[in-house]
Amino acid sequence: MIEEIHLLGIYMPAALAWAVLAVILVYLLRAPLHRLPLHRLLWHPSLLELALFVLFWWGLGALADAFLYRWFAS
Amino acid sequence: MLHRQNLLRSAMTLFVILVILGGIYALWLRYQVEPVTRDGKVRADLVPVAADVSGLVTDVRVSDNQPVRKGDILLVIDRPRYQLALDQAVANLASQQAALDQALREDRRNRAMAEAIATEAVEQGRARVDQLRASIGQAVAARNLARFNLDRTFVRAPVDGTVANMSLQPGVYLTAGKPALALVYGKSMRVEGYFEETKLPAIRVGDPASIYLMGVADEIQGHVQSIAGGVEDRERAGADGQLANVNPSFTWVRLAQRIPVRITIDKIPPQVRMIPGQTATVIVHPRKDGRSVHRSLPW
Repeated sequence: MIEEIHLLGIYMPAALAWAVLAVILVYLLRAPLHRLPLHRLLWHPSLLELALFVLFWWGLGALADAFLYRWFAS
Repeated sequence: MLHRQNLLRSAMTLFVILVILGGIYALWLRYQVEPVTRDGKVRADLVPVAADVSGLVTDVRVSDNQPVRKGDILLVIDRPRYQLALDQAVANLASQQAALDQALREDRRNRAMAEAIATEAVEQGRARVDQLRASIGQAVAARNLARFNLDRTFVRAPVDGTVANMSLQPGVYLTAGKPALALVYGKSMRVEGYFEETKLPAIRVGDPASIYLMGVADEIQGHVQSIAGGVEDRERAGADGQLANVNPSFTWVRLAQRIPVRITIDKIPPQVRMIPGQTATVIVHPRKDGRSVHRSLPW
């Protein structure tokens, strides 16, 4: 499990890094998502963004632990 | 038509909200429940080495950070002075021995001529022999002590270890009992993981553990050797035999206490060097032995 990531000598919890990456990914996906007819499917289209953020946060952590382990840790 | 679309919207919204809650639950499990801590430290016992006799340091035979074996000489303290003390004790013993020999001769003579000498004088002679025998006993003890002290002018390493933080130079005056340097006892090297009390229920003695030193990729293998028997109650002051002095607190936010969990090191990769004080991440892998952990949910 990747517990921490260091950048320029500062060690931070990996969760923080994955959260920041998830925010960036969701921001990039916003424009294509809003082209879909979301308001017909959801009462609040931004709920979908929140769901994507949480899923990305968890998914990035799980993926990194599964595949990135050696690359990140060394 | 409108009605059915509203139903679809509500269902989809509910689904997305459930996905959000599920994601939060997965994140909570991942980061709050698994027995992992980044708050671990490499630790080893420190053995302070003190001189047993006072005096000037005449010779320092180790340097800082030098590994030493048990029994190696670390320092030498003023040997000439303790050699002189031994010489004095030996001479003192010889003088007592001479006095005893003389007293014995006198006593033998007195007893041979008992009719010519007052009984009092004979008794005094015998008492003098006994006194001198006793003082020879003292002198022998004093000589042995002087020899012992002379031997103790060599300050030896009590354990195998590494000399730590030493800045001692010849010429320093050491008093007996004052630590002069410290040895890091290598065999006592272990990792202490400070686990939040909320993560403790999943940890049992004997569970395998992985340790990662800060910035080192290689895994150090270990297992849980023991869990601390207690930690300080920070809300309470006052010594034994006094009334309890409990801190009146009203806390919106509480933090989990940290409980030290001692991890014995089983295998260190050859290129990894552990130094007491290093920061480590400790991951405990609970064994599947049918244990049931009843953990409260986040509320």
